[in-house]
Order: sequence, then C-alpha cells, then structure tokens
Amino acid sequence: MKLAIINGSPRYKNSNSTLLMDQFLKGFSSKSEIAQSYLVGTENKKKALADFVESDTVLIIFPLYTDCKPGIVKEFFESLLGVENSVQKRVGFIVQSGFPESIHSEALERYLQKLTKRLGHIYLGTVIKGGVEGIKIMPPGMTKKLFGQFEKLGSYFAEFQNFDPKIMKQLRTPYKLSASRIFFFNLISKTGLTNFYWDMNLKKNNAFEQRFDKPFSV
Amino acid sequence: MKKITILNGDIHPEKKIFSEYIHQVEEKLMSEKLEVHVFNINSMNLFYCKGCWSCWWKTPGKCDIQDDGSQIFQSVINSDFIIFASPLIAGFTSSALKKITDRFVCLLHPYIQIKNGENHHQKRYEKYPDFGLILEQEADTDEEDIEIVKNIYGRLSLNFHNNMRFCHFTESNKPEEIAHEISHY
Repeated sequence: MKLAIINGSPRYKNSNSTLLMDQFLKGFSSKSEIAQSYLVGTENKKKALADFVESDTVLIIFPLYTDCKPGIVKEFFESLLGVENSVQKRVGFIVQSGFPESIHSEALERYLQKLTKRLGHIYLGTVIKGGVEGIKIMPPGMTKKLFGQFEKLGSYFAEFQNFDPKIMKQLRTPYKLSASRIFFFNLISKTGLTNFYWDMNLKKNNAFEQRFDKPFSV
Repeated sequence: MKKITILNGDIHPEKKIFSEYIHQVEEKLMSEKLEVHVFNINSMNLFYCKGCWSCWWKTPGKCDIQDDGSQIFQSVINSDFIIFASPLIAGFTSSALKKITDRFVCLLHPYIQIKNGENHHQKRYEKYPDFGLILEQEADTDEEDIEIVKNIYGRLSLNFHNNMRFCHFTESNKPEEIAHEISHY
C-alpha cells in the first residue's frame, strides 16, 4: 500500500486533526510508504495533489465547518477533477467536529461517498468523530480513550487497508443528544457552566464584556 | 422584503453564462423595487477562515482577517434575504462560496443552545435572513447530487437560525420568475 494522508485543517499543523492523525500513525507503524501533506498554502496544496496522484490509498482528514467541508478542502476536491485517473484509488475520510453528535456530519458523509464515486475511486467510508474541540488542553486522562481508538484505527488500517467498522461505530456515537444529556445540559446551563470554556477564553483575552457585541448592526 | 444580498460564487466568470444569469436576476429584482447588493466572491480580496476563533473570544463578532470580508458580513446580516449562487463543481457549490460561508461564524455567538436534540451556537444578532440557492448543474449532476446539496444547505439553515426558501437551477428557472417569487416573500 502506498498511502497518502492529506490533512485539510485550516489550522495547518497545529490542529485537532493533526492530534488525531498522530495517534492513527502511532498505531499504523507499518513499513508502508506514507506521504503526508496539508492544504494551507500554495506549495502544500501542490504537494497534496501530487501525493494523491502517486498513491494507491488516500486518507483525507479535516474538521467540520458549517456542517460541511471547509472551503480549502472543497478547493482541493475541485482540483481533483483535473486529474487523469490512471489507477483506481481507495479513498477514505476522517471528519472531526466540535459538537459531539454525529448528525452534524451526516449530510457531508453522503457528499463524500458521492464525490469518491464521481472521481471513479473506491470509497472506504468516513470516520466521524464529534466532541473533539478542546482535546489539546485536556489532561491525558480525558483523551486516553479517544487516542486509543485512533491508534487502533491505525493498526487495523495497516493490517486490512480499511477502517475498523467496530471503532467507526463507537466513534460516531452519539448520533443525537440523549434525553438525559439534554436534561443535564438544561440544568447546568442555568449555572452558566455550559459557557465555561468560552468565558474562560473571553476573559483571558479581556473581551468578556464585549462578548455580545454586534459590530455589523446598522 | 426590501434588501437582498447575492453572493455569486462563480469561479469562471470569464465563461459569462452563469454570472450573466445572476446579473439578470439582479436587474429583475431591482425592477421589483428591491435594493440588491451583489458580491462577486471570486474577484474580491478574501482569505479562508483559519479557525482561530478570534471572532468568538478576542474581538467578539469581528473577524481577525483584514480583507473584504467585513463588507459582506455587514450586507448579509442587514439583508432581508440572501441568495447563494454558484455553478455546481464536483457536486457542490464552489470553494469561493464556501470560503465566505465558513467565515459567517463571526455572525454567531459561541454560546451553545440545544435545538432538535442537537447542539447549536446561539444567535449573536436578532435576525438571520432566509436564503435561496441558485445553481447551475454539471454535465453529470443527478437527483442524488441535488438532494445532497439541499441536505447540506438545510444543515446550514439550522446552524444559522433561518430557512432555506428555494433551490432553483439556471437550466429550469427564468431570472424574472425567481425575482418575482422573492418579491412576494
């Protein structure tokens, strides 16, 4: 397998996509050749396209933006239309989002499947993982399970050239918020605790008092 | 209905067909006595969202990127209706249109609310204009593609607390029909 991993995070290397990819690669640890690329910057875009052309298996990882792919990822997809297909490739996607429930990524998943078909390649599926924002600042105990799952996803991929269906299923839960979770959210939202992450950062930047500003109102 | 913003995501305006169609929609809307603002995204100085969240926790409501974004945000949030216009490319609206849509996060508030059993960001502004899609099909566009595009824009409307009012195609709708429909909202 000649694997290309394309990281479509607009945050470039300093992203949650990179953190998850690192765990995947830790598990992958195979002798296969791996080409890694990014989509931020003109030179990186060129490399990503060249990596796509030269590989037989491609994984594209990116964050969910407005329940869809980010603009730079769409731009990359458009550039793939101009590529001559000499070999049919195996293409898989990993989509991560801030919100925990996978329903946000469901329409995009349909798009990714159709896109792969349109380009004449073989679709390996889309790994969907929500609740990822903030993992960078979480203590190791909180990310241990998630990182372990991505490591396993990597080792399975090295062995079977495909995503582990069991882990995929685990990662995409919850689909929607459960009744108990909604109840809990409503309960703690009265205390302001649900805004904690945002308030902490707003205060750090001396912007807390301006948090309800409407700069574009006329 | 008074003020309309059209976001034209045509990335090959030199081919003229799509942008010419949008220009006709603009003229027909104006003849319905509506105020119309057209942004040709591809010819503007616009950068991609970096995911920095300055607009949420450094300069609330304002994007950190110094480019033409502000004129678009200002027009969009103060309009009564938005048109997302684009030829379909690789089964979806253009990267140019997605580039500006990504940056609409500055129009929302970071705080979260639960809607339909899902997390969503709260409103920053009182009102978010409804929108419609004007698309041009590709040679291989099929029913499934159209369903997927509508699905994804349906998600956008959930996120932005507004409604998608139509999805029209340059192949099957006349500019004056679209303008007439909008003027009656």
